[in-house]
Amino acid sequence: MAFRRSSTYITPLIFFLIVISFFPIALSPDQDFLRSLAPGVIWIAALLSSLLAIETIFSEDFRDGTLDEFFISNDPSFVLVFAKVLCHWLVTGFPILLASLISSLILYLPVSSLLPMICSLILGTFFMSLLGAIGAALSLGKSAILSAIIVLPFSIPTLLMGTAAVSSAIDYQDYSGFLLIMGAMLAIGVPGLCLLTVEAILLNYE
Amino acid sequence: MLPNLKVENLSSVRSEKVIFDNINFDVMPGQNIEIIGSNGSGKTTLLRTILGLINQDKGQILWLDDNDNYNKFRTFDCFYQGHSLGIKNLLSAQENLRLSSYSFGVSEEKILSSLNRVGIKSHSSFASEMSVGQKKRISIARWLLKDFGIYFIDEPFSALDDQASSLIVEIIEELNAKGASFVITGHRPSEITSNQITLDHEV
Repeated sequence: MAFRRSSTYITPLIFFLIVISFFPIALSPDQDFLRSLAPGVIWIAALLSSLLAIETIFSEDFRDGTLDEFFISNDPSFVLVFAKVLCHWLVTGFPILLASLISSLILYLPVSSLLPMICSLILGTFFMSLLGAIGAALSLGKSAILSAIIVLPFSIPTLLMGTAAVSSAIDYQDYSGFLLIMGAMLAIGVPGLCLLTVEAILLNYE
Repeated sequence: MLPNLKVENLSSVRSEKVIFDNINFDVMPGQNIEIIGSNGSGKTTLLRTILGLINQDKGQILWLDDNDNYNKFRTFDCFYQGHSLGIKNLLSAQENLRLSSYSFGVSEEKILSSLNRVGIKSHSSFASEMSVGQKKRISIARWLLKDFGIYFIDEPFSALDDQASSLIVEIIEELNAKGASFVITGHRPSEITSNQITLDHEV
């Protein structure tokens, strides 16, 4: 359904590319300078882009009554929340992954850093979608910006790990430790954050 | 015959305001319950409390399980339709029914016959192109997808013309004959045969 509303996946994609392209224009087109900024710039742009459509995870289902039906159906609410987060990631996180390849050209990232960049973005953007789901659940029926404000402070560990993984790869250092920490965060986050999201949604009925 | 659902001494208090107090009723197979009350009298809260979306403050909600035992958790096959109809504007009438039946699986023939039964001929038209009345008919078609045990419908007769209201009464009677029960809410008593509960506590 999200693919029928093109704004859901085009807006974060365009936003991501615009933010990335501003840096060479505003600061300097110098290759070394841009390469040193690249990990942080790509990760900040990815975080902000993935938060753009975060409010839409549950808001429409809440408005049109399908969320009530999901919670009353015999299917476990946890699975339904996970399915919603996965769909959200496919329409927002996945296009950002593709756009990050274009951004690596704009910011002169070496080819050796592409693999850690993609791996960290897969882990990090999915974790952000999970975090965003809680923010979206807590701010149902309220301002869209509220969910971003709730989520952003909790995204700092993801930002640090993701940036460190790409920076390490640029410096030809071992980056696997950062990816493992991100993987562990995701492994804990999938059950933990999905269950918290279920509880956060139920708060809206009280 | 045992009731499918027993509600005993159910009470709800929100922010020190009593929403409803000491509600008791049994839902027998094929029998209907109408919860009558004005706006803000707690009808929706009562339905949501029974279905576990809202925590109850006092009382018991007991559901009959397959072994004729009463359990605290819902073991009965329920259908719920709230104020919002649960219709997706980006989907066609047929796709909306397919989405609703996703968890229990229904044939395309059943989906089409359900839509035909409620008078929706344009199966592939997007819900966004339909009137509120037509969307309501799609939501009624969902009642026919499966033989649910109890249907919980919030204000099914609101914003409907006489023809659509008669259709609802007809369908409820058909489903009652198959043993299904309805718990519905409304501002005034409807034409269906039912036991009535009045909520007159203004919130």
